[in-house]
Amino acid sequence: MGIPLVPGLLRDHLNELAERDERVDGRGRLEGRPIEVEVNPIERAEGSARVRMGDTIVYAGVKFQIMTPYSDRPDQGGLMTSAEIRPIAGRNWEPGPPSEESIELGRVVDRGIRESGCIDVNGLCILPGEKAWQVIIDLHAISDDGNLFDAFALAAIVALRNATLPAERFDVGEDEPLELSCTPIMCSYHKVGGRFVYDANGEEELGGDERIHITLGDEGHVHSLQKGLRGVFTSEEFDDIMQAARARRDELMELVESLEQD
Amino acid sequence: MSDSGDVGRLVIPGDSLGEIGERRAGHGVLRRNGELIATRLGHLREKDGELSVNPVHTAYTPRPGDLIVGYVEGMRSNIWFIDIGGPFNAILPMSLAAGKVDFGATREYMDVGSTVLCRVQEVDENHGAVVTMKGMGLRKLNSGFVDTVPSHLLSRVVGVDGQMLKSIKEASDCRMVVGQNGRIWIEGDASGTRLARSALSVIREAGHRPDIESRVRGILDE
Amino acid sequence: MGGYGDVQMLNEDGTRMDGRRPDELRKIEIEAGVVPVADGSARVQWGTNLAIAAVYGPMEAHPRKISRQDRCVLDVRYNMAPFSVTDRIRPGFNRRSREIGKVTANALESVVQLELYPRSKIRVEIEIMCAEAGTRCVGLTAASVALADAGIPMTDMVVSVASGRVNGVVVLDLNKEEDNYGDADLPMGILPNSGELVFLQMDGDLSPEDFQEAWDYNMGAAKEIHEIMVAALAARYGGDA
Repeated sequence: MGIPLVPGLLRDHLNELAERDERVDGRGRLEGRPIEVEVNPIERAEGSARVRMGDTIVYAGVKFQIMTPYSDRPDQGGLMTSAEIRPIAGRNWEPGPPSEESIELGRVVDRGIRESGCIDVNGLCILPGEKAWQVIIDLHAISDDGNLFDAFALAAIVALRNATLPAERFDVGEDEPLELSCTPIMCSYHKVGGRFVYDANGEEELGGDERIHITLGDEGHVHSLQKGLRGVFTSEEFDDIMQAARARRDELMELVESLEQD
Repeated sequence: MSDSGDVGRLVIPGDSLGEIGERRAGHGVLRRNGELIATRLGHLREKDGELSVNPVHTAYTPRPGDLIVGYVEGMRSNIWFIDIGGPFNAILPMSLAAGKVDFGATREYMDVGSTVLCRVQEVDENHGAVVTMKGMGLRKLNSGFVDTVPSHLLSRVVGVDGQMLKSIKEASDCRMVVGQNGRIWIEGDASGTRLARSALSVIREAGHRPDIESRVRGILDE
Repeated sequence: MGGYGDVQMLNEDGTRMDGRRPDELRKIEIEAGVVPVADGSARVQWGTNLAIAAVYGPMEAHPRKISRQDRCVLDVRYNMAPFSVTDRIRPGFNRRSREIGKVTANALESVVQLELYPRSKIRVEIEIMCAEAGTRCVGLTAASVALADAGIPMTDMVVSVASGRVNGVVVLDLNKEEDNYGDADLPMGILPNSGELVFLQMDGDLSPEDFQEAWDYNMGAAKEIHEIMVAALAARYGGDA
């Protein structure tokens, strides 16, 4: 059903719940919603994933194109991430040019992947100075019940891990899997009722305040951080969620590895 | 395919319900070319020769006298626009507010996002409604929480002679007001509110099932 | 339409490249209620096509200029995901999608009982996640199930399917190669209970006999597709009560 659009009463209720260390759906503070992941549901994409977290459902599709390398980087290919939240995703998503939110979503997920170096852009070179692969990740939301960030990031990395370079179609060799050197995973924490919770749902996002997105790679390396919306947080709060993110990252990594289709 | 043996079956828009014969077309049924057809997704009902469809979903349409929980969506100097969950907003004129409001002071009195308990005063032929806050218990709600249940399941929330609602209120120790527009106001402590919401969640998921009462009791007894 | 009449599209025994008989549909699977936050929704897997449609409403008609005093308006959007096709589609305004949205809206307006909700609107969002010929038909079919799932009153469901001709033989439900290399494409939107049409387009070159055969193929397939739509709704709402 729909989200109550009553920030006033909702916020008070969320505050009350937070005082008792409770959440609207009964989860623990750092507990995530049930996750479903489908690998390569889209035949036309070179790699794809469908991720469901609670009632949030997203798709990620990986497409490859041939590009001419930039003159100052003749050995490198490219990576681009684009996020679109179409009106299908919710009553409050309007048609039109990309909103600030969807732009931020795309860029935050992009940074997490790019900064991790999981895709070696030198490895994307086909013919120096002439041809290189461009990897394009398109993120597409179908149902928004909060935390599109983590859903998109998870879908993107699963799609990449299961992507195949379409060399034969472009007549530049044999098809081969895209190689990733690590697995960046994002965990997002929203301040709801005065404290940070993991994997906020639609109601919590609506009635909550600032949020922090943490992308961690292998061996606990930090690849990107983003704080969104107005508000302040303390070092203690940050340490707490960083610790939580490390633990959660390991859990999600297990999930991602278990999906391998070899 | 035209007698009461079909009653209870699921029909989808366009399904033929047989020749008109002696029957009348009720809610969700249309007469066309000498036969009756379903226009709604739902379950077939027959009563006193009238064939109708009990829809699986209904958008709320206001009727005079309905008690509703609304949200203030906007205002002018002498009027508020209230989201009542129907196809469009209702209006609350200054003259029908709970107390005395000065012209132009509507925002101070009740701002956008306020939750109000009000009653439908009248409805015009285009389903546009005027609501009032003059009446017993009608007021701006400053605490508590609002949950939603599709309007066609409200009867399940209330139950026979109000028994279901009474059970939920007792088990959760919450005040509850059921708005005809499918919005239910709940006020109590955090765990009680969550229990009440769990009960409502069960009704949302399985309200059309015949064993709904025992399912809800199962939740309340936990 | 390529007019590549020389490309061999049929086998010796008359079957098509994907093994189907000329009058056989691709595999269709439909599930209702797949977008949890929407009022109604449906997913249609049709051959390699994957379409998801969601319905919101009836709701207040914004902006004011689209609102009509006497009836509801259908606000229909058809969109193809960038990764839905072999050569990625850049997101943004797309003329083809705009046209398909419009003809889809016209088709659905013919069955939705618009006069029941004056001054309001119903949003229909169609997303093609994976494409393989006939996407407008798949989208319209998905939208029809989504509207029923949302409880919107309609005088009938809309079933949509296309036929064409390859190597001189009329075939039902073109796949991608048949659409590219065949001679014609005739998509239709059919009301299964009355046999009336709410959607009709045609591209290519068909003789009067072939046109009639393609038409008949579509009409004949409507019943089979309708049954799959009914089953999807029955699966969600538990059959009888």
